[in-house]
Formats: sequence, structure tokens, C-alpha cells
Amino acid sequence: MQKKNTTSKNTPGKIISCICFYLLLILLWQVIYTVGTGTLGWWKSYAMPSPLGVLQSLRKLILNGTLFQAVIYSLRRVLIGFLISLLIGAILGLLISASAFLNRCLKPLLNGFQSLPSVCWVPFAILWFGLKESAVLFVVVIGSTFSVALAIENAIASIPPIYKRAAATMGAKPLQMYKDIIFPAALPGFLAGLRQSWSFAWRALMSGEVMSSYVGLGYSLMTGRDMADINQVTAVMLVIIVIGILIDRCVFSVLERRVLKSRGL
Amino acid sequence: MSLELKNISRSFDNSVRETLKDISLTVEDGEFVCIVGPSGCGKSTLLNIVAGLDQPSSGELFINGKAITQAGSDRVMMFQEHALYPWLNVIDNVKFGMKLAGVSKEEQNRRAERYLKMVRLWEFRDYRIHEISGGMKQRTALARALCLNSPILLMDEPFSALDKQTTNKLRADLEQIWEETKKTILFVTHSVEEAVFLADRIVILSDNPGCIKDVYTVDLQRPRQIDSPEFLAARHKILSSVEREVEKLAKEEYDQ
Repeated sequence: MQKKNTTSKNTPGKIISCICFYLLLILLWQVIYTVGTGTLGWWKSYAMPSPLGVLQSLRKLILNGTLFQAVIYSLRRVLIGFLISLLIGAILGLLISASAFLNRCLKPLLNGFQSLPSVCWVPFAILWFGLKESAVLFVVVIGSTFSVALAIENAIASIPPIYKRAAATMGAKPLQMYKDIIFPAALPGFLAGLRQSWSFAWRALMSGEVMSSYVGLGYSLMTGRDMADINQVTAVMLVIIVIGILIDRCVFSVLERRVLKSRGL
Repeated sequence: MSLELKNISRSFDNSVRETLKDISLTVEDGEFVCIVGPSGCGKSTLLNIVAGLDQPSSGELFINGKAITQAGSDRVMMFQEHALYPWLNVIDNVKFGMKLAGVSKEEQNRRAERYLKMVRLWEFRDYRIHEISGGMKQRTALARALCLNSPILLMDEPFSALDKQTTNKLRADLEQIWEETKKTILFVTHSVEEAVFLADRIVILSDNPGCIKDVYTVDLQRPRQIDSPEFLAARHKILSSVEREVEKLAKEEYDQ
């Protein structure tokens, strides 16, 4: 009865060394900024963000409520968009898994669509939906649906055939095969694929918000650009990165690890 | 239930190996038949056809005189790999087939307890599959197969991935369970010793094309002693027959 040890845990020492690394990185950034804009004159001061400037921007955005509102709007959009793409992607993925013909015909196309940057869909979004909420949602949905479909197809295709063969000799009917074998067996692979789909959705949201919205993180990024405020642009970028990491770590990573651990993987 | 194979052939498009030609065999109700032969002779393919997991190119399969074309729970198969589901614990794996068949909850519990006790895994019923040893996994798979009360049990080298001691123990267990349950068993193995220990009859397949070369009836008293002179004599006889096939195969491969 081999109980596997859980993989390397984050000890306080490791976390502290990681924090020190980032503090050093920020210090280096400040030094480069000071030397580069001052004595050496590499950049104009408005073309290069500084740690202090970014911190001030962040403080401003938090205090006037813009950041909170932007985060709420963006998260709501990405959540709704991602849920819709889960639904459509699941149907597509199940279809191309069930039919060899559809698989042959559609999979290359889906791969192509997946590699298409979602900003390409923005003109369609504006023409079809106008500068409205639905246009942003459209970009998010189309940006992640294909990835979801391919994740499902891939997860189902990598189920060990023996699972289905064993179930068949025990008399499994097609619906039971899906419910009792295919879905649970594909779950770990699907969750791994879902992480990627989530990052596609998050990126697509930014494309959508930059082009057509009045509020949201992407919009804050745009206003920063319009005001030539490089510090605000950087501050919003950092927020986008941090939220992306947080959701990956706190939602998908946790889910995936829990499933894998329960199966001893 | 009796099992009848009539002129079963199986050819593959892009491979000369693993073909079966004109296999006819009748397994009587409650009989234990072992199929042995050199690796690649198509013994697993034959068992897959009987299970309904593979279709013959020609020929027919009857159970109690009724033609069979699909997989079904009247012929549960045990594989070389345990084929247990890692998202279920031991007892839920054992209940899996019964759940598919719509057996009532109380009956599921009753049978799961009976067969898990039979394979001595009752204390491990709540363990996850990755927490138990290889031999315990195969015993779980055996309990799962037995739970369905299928009249026919198909076994594809179920013990070949296990160590010697575990294998010996499981063979003895299987023989005892077979005597208790009176199932018809078709058992594929590459081990002649295993076949002589378990079988009423041993079918030797020849290679390329795979067809029935010999059928031996093993007339030894059960439980059999693997070091008794009669056992060794029977083993020797069958081994020499199989070895000629292996040599023939080796020569063919060398000549190519």
C-alpha cells in the first residue's frame, strides 16, 4: 500500500526567498529607471514607468474606485463569457469525439481558429453587436470556445481504451459509457486543458475591452494610453497579470491537483 | 452455459501476424478451458472475439445455441491489466458492473461483501486503487467480475503481470472459486504450468495462421500439486508441443 508523498510543499523559507527575489527585481527596475532617464538619458521620463510611479497610479486607481469597478466588470464578463464557451465548447468537443468524420473534418479548423488571435474577431464583434457589452462577451466566447472543444476532444481521446473495453464486457450501454466511464476518466485531462482555455478567455477579454467598452481593466489600460500615462498602463497590466495568476492558482490548479491526488497521480 | 465457436477466422488488413484461421471449439457448461500458444498467435484476439470486443472476419459464436455478436455481461472479461477505475475506491469498483446492470442497492452491497470476502479484500474496501498492491488490484478485478454472476468468465492472462507467489495464490483462489460457483471459464495464458494447474482441457494454438493444433484433456485430481510426477509429465507433454510452435516461429522469423 504505497501512499505517495505529496509533491514539494512551499516552506516559509522558499516563500521568503521568492519575495526577496521580487524585491531585488523592483530595486533593479528603480535603478535602471533612475540611471536611464536621468544621467544617461536613454528614455524620456514619460516613456518609462517607475516602481514609485506605478505605485502612485495604483493608489490613485484604488482610491477613486476605478480599479475596483474595472476588476468587477472584467471578472463578470470573463465569467459569463467563459461559462458560455464551456457550454458551446463542450458540445463541439463531444461531437468531434463521437464522430470520426467530424473529427477528421473539423479538428484542423478548430486548431486554426484556436491559434487565431482573438483581436481578429473585434471587427466582427463591433459590426454585429455594436459597442456594447455583448460585443466584449462575443470576443471572450470566441476566444476560448475552440480551446475548450479541443481540451474535451483531447481528454476523451487519451482515455485508456481498457476502461471502455472493461465496461463493455460488463454490459455498459452507450449512455452509461459516457456517464460512468468517459466523463470521469476524461476529467483530469479536461481540467488541465481548461487552465489553458481560461487563459485564452482572459486574454480575449482584454482584446475585447480595449476595443469596445466603457469600463473594465482593458478600458483602464486604454485610458492610460490616451492620457499618455505610462505608469497607469503598467499598473493596470500588473493587475491583469496578478488576477490571471490568482485565478489559475486558486481555482484551476487547486481543482486539478485535488482530482489528480484522489487518483494517486 | 456452453460456448461454441464455429469456424472463427480473423484477418487484419495491415498485418500478417495475429491472424486466426478456422477455429472451432466447444466449451461445456462449467468447464475450465485454457488456451496456450506462442506469443502473437492470436490467443488474445480469440478471447476478444468471444467477449464481443472484436468481430471475426468469418465464423460464428453461440452461447447455449444462440448466436452472439456483441459484448455482454453474460461473458465478463478479466484483462492482463487490472482495468479498475482510479476515480472509484475498491468496493465501488466491485459494484460497478452491478450498477450498470441495475442491480438493487441491497443486492449490490450483499454481493460486494460476499466476493470481497472471498478474495480477502473486505478490510480494504474503502481504499483507493492506487493504494493497493498489484495482486490486490487483480483480486479486486476478479471480485468485480464475479459479482455480475455471469455464467461465463473470460480471462486474458490475468495473473501474468504478478510475482510468482502472488500468482500461485491467485491460481489456487481461482480454482476454489470456480469449484464453488460452477462457472464456465475460458482462460488464456502463456504459462503451460498455469494451464495444467487450472484446466479441464488445454487448447494449443499454433502460430501464423493461428489455428487449433492440439487439445489435451487434463485428467489430474484437484487440487493439483505442481511438483507431483503426474503433473510434471502432463506439463512436459504440453510444453514440448508448444515449444515446437515457438521454434517454428523463430525459424520463420529468422528465414525472412
